[in-house]
Amino acid sequence: MEIQLKLYGSSKMLNDKDTLNIQLPENSNIEKLRDILNKIISTKHSKSNLKDLSKTAAFFSEKNEVVNDNYKLKDKESISIIPPIGGG
Amino acid sequence: MNLHTALVKIEEEKISSEKAKQFITSKKNGAESIFIGRVRNENSGKKVKAVTYDAHYQAVIKSFQSICNNAKNKFDKNAKIFLEHAKGYAPVGEISILIAVGSGHRDEAFKICRYILEEVKHQSPIWKKEHYVDGREEWLLGHSLRPKKEI
Repeated sequence: MEIQLKLYGSSKMLNDKDTLNIQLPENSNIEKLRDILNKIISTKHSKSNLKDLSKTAAFFSEKNEVVNDNYKLKDKESISIIPPIGGG
Repeated sequence: MNLHTALVKIEEEKISSEKAKQFITSKKNGAESIFIGRVRNENSGKKVKAVTYDAHYQAVIKSFQSICNNAKNKFDKNAKIFLEHAKGYAPVGEISILIAVGSGHRDEAFKICRYILEEVKHQSPIWKKEHYVDGREEWLLGHSLRPKKEI
């Protein structure tokens, strides 16, 4: 299955566009998404300051609420990655 | 209407302290407190020329309204609150955040202002990318919203 990751803040370094499509095994959850994300960062962005992103990021569902690691992802679902925040 | 919150596309519109003052003024209020945050020209020894603010629009607006309503419930239900934050490319000197509070008394006005600022920093999904004079740029590290029990 495939999900669309909406990119914010430092995660925008992952792609030239504001979204990143990620292939996942069927019935994957957020924990699996973190694993895949960690692999993408390790292979393609190892020199950037994204190395902790897969651990420190939160994820928002389409309802704009934080979802936990057990949250089951659906095919074609759109998920927002929320790196550590710092406005003001 | 006692509450105004917005994310302002800073390349198209400025955050205005005059607009904020007009919003919070009321004959019922004896105190007004205004906090203005601006982009400064230095951070951790690096010379900054601008900051780009990125934001998750829907979640920011939701968080702003929740934070302001919590502040009113906590300190003064009749307070008038104006909260705007910049989104986009903001050069040094530009207003990044403006919080204005009109309240019955000074103590509540100060407390609401401070409470909102701290909660925005800890709850609202906004990010800063600093642009330096030497041409480099960097996303700043911040506060994780991942549930603490999972980290």
